[in-house]
Amino acid sequence: MFELIAQHFAWVQSPVVLARQTLAGVSNGMLLFLISAGLSLIFGVLRILNFAHSALFMLGALIAVSVAALLPDPLAGFAAALAGAAAGLALLGAAIEISLLRRIYRAPHEMQLLLTFALVFILGDTAKLIWGPEEHSVAMPAILAGGVQAFGLVFPLYRLFLIAAGAAVAAGLWLILYRTRWGILIRAATMDREMLAALGVNTRGLFTAVFTLGAALAGLGGALAAPVVAVGPGLHVQVLIDAFAVVVIGGLGSVLGAFIASLLVGLVNAFGVLAFPGLAVVLTFACMAIVLVVRPRGLLGTAE
Amino acid sequence: MKARHAAPLLAAAAVLLALPSGLTDFWIFITVEVLAFALYAVSFNVLLGYGGMLSFGHAAFFGVGGYTAALFVKQSGLPPALAVACLPLAAMFVSAAAALVIGFFSVRRAGIYFAMLTFAFQMLLYTIALKATPLTGGDDGLTGLKPPGLLAQPLAYYYYTLALTGAGLYLLHRFVSSPFGHTLRALRANPLRVQYLGIDVRAHRLAAFVLSGAFAGLAGAIFALSNGNVFPGWLDWTASATPVVMAVLGGTASFLGPALGAAVYVVLEVLISGRTEYWPLAMGIIIVILVLLMPEGLTGLWRMGVVRRGARAAPLPTREAR
Repeated sequence: MFELIAQHFAWVQSPVVLARQTLAGVSNGMLLFLISAGLSLIFGVLRILNFAHSALFMLGALIAVSVAALLPDPLAGFAAALAGAAAGLALLGAAIEISLLRRIYRAPHEMQLLLTFALVFILGDTAKLIWGPEEHSVAMPAILAGGVQAFGLVFPLYRLFLIAAGAAVAAGLWLILYRTRWGILIRAATMDREMLAALGVNTRGLFTAVFTLGAALAGLGGALAAPVVAVGPGLHVQVLIDAFAVVVIGGLGSVLGAFIASLLVGLVNAFGVLAFPGLAVVLTFACMAIVLVVRPRGLLGTAE
Repeated sequence: MKARHAAPLLAAAAVLLALPSGLTDFWIFITVEVLAFALYAVSFNVLLGYGGMLSFGHAAFFGVGGYTAALFVKQSGLPPALAVACLPLAAMFVSAAAALVIGFFSVRRAGIYFAMLTFAFQMLLYTIALKATPLTGGDDGLTGLKPPGLLAQPLAYYYYTLALTGAGLYLLHRFVSSPFGHTLRALRANPLRVQYLGIDVRAHRLAAFVLSGAFAGLAGAIFALSNGNVFPGWLDWTASATPVVMAVLGGTASFLGPALGAAVYVVLEVLISGRTEYWPLAMGIIIVILVLLMPEGLTGLWRMGVVRRGARAAPLPTREAR
């Protein structure tokens, strides 16, 4: 019995495997952060759980596919794809907030959930109409395609790039939230929207801006993920569940919580695949269920 | 039940009893689906409309009921006559047990957190349905199911469904009209005050959750045997919106509104998905219209019409404001 278990966990002693899985876990975690940061920010300020956030991520990846195909130079194409996806989703996000979400801030929870749920179906099918049901891919630019030799194994360069990109976005968000006036307003809105409005702040515009920022982050995440995932209409389903778990574990409305939880879920998935093959999804849910039962507000969330 | 409701209810019962003679087998099949989903939506709305609890994982119990019925007809080996009687009880019992466990953890929280907890548990059950292949058939689900004995005939199964749905709706109505049901309504309006009155809020919420889960399971069992198969997709995240849409479409402020919503939803799905593969898009647009323009649902529209024609009064206030 013990021998079997020892055999099963033999990889624990292998530094190569540990390093590889850690890298995979952290880089996937960074991608998750790009989605869940926006999701968490939006919930914190707008108090709406945006089911459609993963659909925005998928649209970002699809826009990246189209934009990258326009330019002959792969590096310029990739850069344009990132910018295009973020800009495109920012526009779409603003449109969604102004035309739909703005009308339901005072509606009961079921109306809010239903509306963002409807957006999942509408955006998913619209994507299918525009890009077709098949899966697409984006070529990695040549300078990011190779690997780096370290500790006796090869790290894929793109994974390192993802980690750097995630860290850069996290740092940028921190600067916005804690070093600008706008960030102060966002944090104030998370704590007490009515008070903020009573102090004469234009919360209407603030809400639009926050949803736009969240959507742009999702779009950027989708574009960054495009070279390493199969970009198709089914993409948002797997992403949704993980992003959902991340914001619940990290605490709804907390960007730092989303950052920690993203890394946690990324690592749990990466090592769960080795420890309990086929049950990695259950591990994510187990984490989420434990957090919800023991500390329902999440690691860094504020009380209800 | 008030006297003014008796006439329309009797008329509806008569229509439902006579209905199969005017329908093809396909539409009898669809009517069974309508009845099953009507029971599902009404059981869901006992939580939302009466208790103010938004379960976003109610498909869990519909699915558990469906899988229980499937395993029951495949494995129990009971003589058909006994199986016919035991099947609904088994489905309700297992779903109630699942609801007891899920509810134990979930009813501690209210509002959006309750919705998320129930949603998370539904996803957990989805994963189990997908991975526990020996029991659930995994990705392929359980197929080739047949109702036991005489019920294999569509007409017999229709009346079986009608009897079970009727009994289910009657029991749920008795429940919401009882003192317990009134406590539940008080809980929606002001949980803190109910607590001050010395009533155990959590126990009441849990009891309502278990009861609602049991009848959702019965609905799942009815639909599983009519459909002939059960898939993990029944527990998938897209399925969690179905009872919410039905209830809101019909109107959460009335007992039978969600049943009407279920009927309209099922018929729309049959008509639209028969013509285009973009049924999700159509449903998404319907939901947006519903949420933005008619949040009181179909029964709300009708009531507003009655009020306007009769007393020339203002439209009814929204659920939140009441």
